[in-house]
Amino acid sequence: MTGDSLTLIVLVSITPADRAITREEGSMSDEVVQEAEVTRRGFLKSTGAAAALAGLALTGLTARESQAAVAGIPKKWDASCDVLVIGTGFAGLAAALEAKSAGAEVLVLEKMRTHGGNSIINGGDFAVAGNRFQKEAGIKDSAEQMVKDMMKAGGDLNHPALARAVAEQSLESLEWCEKFVGAQFGRLNFHGGHSVKRSVQTENASGSGLVNPMLAKAKSLGVKFQFTTKMERLIADPQGRIVGVEVRKGYRFPDEKSGKVAFIKARRAVVLASGGFSQNVELRQIQDPRLDGRFDSTNHSGATGEALLAACLAGAMDVQMDWIQCGPWTSPDEKGFGHVPQFCERIVGYAPMVDPVTGKRFIKETGNRKVRADAIMQLGHPVLIFGDTVNVNRQVLPETLNKGLENGSIRKFDTLEELARHYSVPVAAMLEEVAKWNSYVEKRKDPEFDCMIFANSTPTVQAPFYAARLWPRVHHTMGGLVINDKAQVKGFNLKTMKGLYAAGEVTGGVHGAVRLGSVAMADCVVFGRIAGRNAAQEKPWG
Amino acid sequence: MSRTNHIMKCLGSSALVLALSAAGAQAAPKRVSGAKPVNCVACHGKEQVLPADHPKLANMKLASCRECHVKGDVSSLDGKLPLSHKHLLAGLTCAKCHGKAKKQEPVDFQVCVGCHEPEKLAQTTSAVRPQNPHTSRHYGTALDCNACHHQHAKSEDFCGQCHKFQFKLP
Repeated sequence: MTGDSLTLIVLVSITPADRAITREEGSMSDEVVQEAEVTRRGFLKSTGAAAALAGLALTGLTARESQAAVAGIPKKWDASCDVLVIGTGFAGLAAALEAKSAGAEVLVLEKMRTHGGNSIINGGDFAVAGNRFQKEAGIKDSAEQMVKDMMKAGGDLNHPALARAVAEQSLESLEWCEKFVGAQFGRLNFHGGHSVKRSVQTENASGSGLVNPMLAKAKSLGVKFQFTTKMERLIADPQGRIVGVEVRKGYRFPDEKSGKVAFIKARRAVVLASGGFSQNVELRQIQDPRLDGRFDSTNHSGATGEALLAACLAGAMDVQMDWIQCGPWTSPDEKGFGHVPQFCERIVGYAPMVDPVTGKRFIKETGNRKVRADAIMQLGHPVLIFGDTVNVNRQVLPETLNKGLENGSIRKFDTLEELARHYSVPVAAMLEEVAKWNSYVEKRKDPEFDCMIFANSTPTVQAPFYAARLWPRVHHTMGGLVINDKAQVKGFNLKTMKGLYAAGEVTGGVHGAVRLGSVAMADCVVFGRIAGRNAAQEKPWG
Repeated sequence: MSRTNHIMKCLGSSALVLALSAAGAQAAPKRVSGAKPVNCVACHGKEQVLPADHPKLANMKLASCRECHVKGDVSSLDGKLPLSHKHLLAGLTCAKCHGKAKKQEPVDFQVCVGCHEPEKLAQTTSAVRPQNPHTSRHYGTALDCNACHHQHAKSEDFCGQCHKFQFKLP
């Protein structure tokens, strides 16, 4: 923070938020003394303070100065709006659209130069209970079933009201995306950990198929956007109501000193939709020390979580920050998210996954992300998934296959022996394993790992065979700000923070310990809409 | 190696490093909006920006540069001459893109689009493998030119954050 901005701070008082930070610091040191054995509960409790401390370190201020900064209201605002949204992914744009539709004047801030965050590079799969594609395929599903799946994967750590809201409002939200936003969805996919095929995919198999129509719609309705503008601090009045934000205009990621300080007034509310922190190695290692720099991330480079920390500094409470998901389907043979996830996830339940050292299967291929990523990390080396031409060509989009073959992350072989030799897998052991797998496919039952075998799955026999190596990457941070089912943020005083809403990956609790594939999109759209609607209904403070 | 020699050698190399860092630390050139494109001194001052034996710029235009600096050849200016200079040499003064406002703002994407029509651009690069740089599944043809093509700084492969396309940028 510059000297300029400090001169604008006129109010210095201890707010409930400040006291909360002080108290939490105290409770952490108590734990260190009292708890010889670090329990899971203790660890969860301490992460709040850890996040707050990390935030202090980031701003370069002492705790004392920072507390003063929390309470500072500028004399003059550089801009104002009714509802201020931070972030241009699914959640931010959904919030902006709903707030605008409710009559609010909406401004959206984005710290990066381009819109969309992780949403524009995601796979475009949207979990929707009871959707029309399921009906056409004769698949029975319900919101109740979706909640059950989410809770099972989440180890029952999901906040039930939040999980229920996502499942129950998923269908209506899909319809809103199609009818109001104008996005197009074309096919039904399966994701590991779901009990049925439930994920509806955008026509272009990318989140851009929803983000871009959302952005266009928001612009056409008169929502204002400001790019390269980074939120640095939430500003509260002496009663703790959030009244606006301090930003850096003209910010150039990742130069933290770039841009000029400015103040934006939010008359009704601020909606945080700033995403997770998978790319913040320091913060994610505080939460899960395993996830050091050796692990790449599927996320866009800006997924660094400063807005989340800024909210904690303003008194917001965080939850389950150490549940960080690694995608088990990324390839070490390509960068970023790549093409292999859409290869791997389309053929689980149709193809075996093996440990190249033994040639044997090692995990339920259709298991959830955590189960699979943990299993691969425990083996300590990349694993293999391979399918025959019948299953692969039925399940995998031609573009995915071609691009994967082109960049070398997916390889094609005329025989299984050739495949095994290429990856240095013991040939006889692998052939034996494939024969066993094929017998399970015939019987539609896997007695070993209980892999789901789909009705149209066929044995792995027809050449050519397609294979890819898999090694996990940090993908999603399940934890984040505590919200209620109205998307209101809770503070460390256990009360909702007036004027502050949050939606999407910046929040925690919806997914518990493990997020199921394609539920992020549902979470973002459902809670983005809730946040936007409710933010627009707040009484203006000035 | 004698001790003296060794010291001399060390001194020599550190002197070289000092000289290099001094050159690197040279103040960023001024941006004089009215400067003629061939008047290097207006912005760069005494800093020597062209090789000593470079022909006099006189009234050179971008087309004249390209008589020697052939596109796609080692002599190409791609990656060597900032794009703002190419624009200037092609007759686009600062004001033509930035306008005449006293407080200058970065140029909006729509200004670029006025000359560089995105759909057409995507067509001209449609044969580039493994990916056409001017259209993508994520942004279609709507990605801001400045995501890759910077005018006053070295251009960057924006897609390179997640992909290995290894685009060569002008």
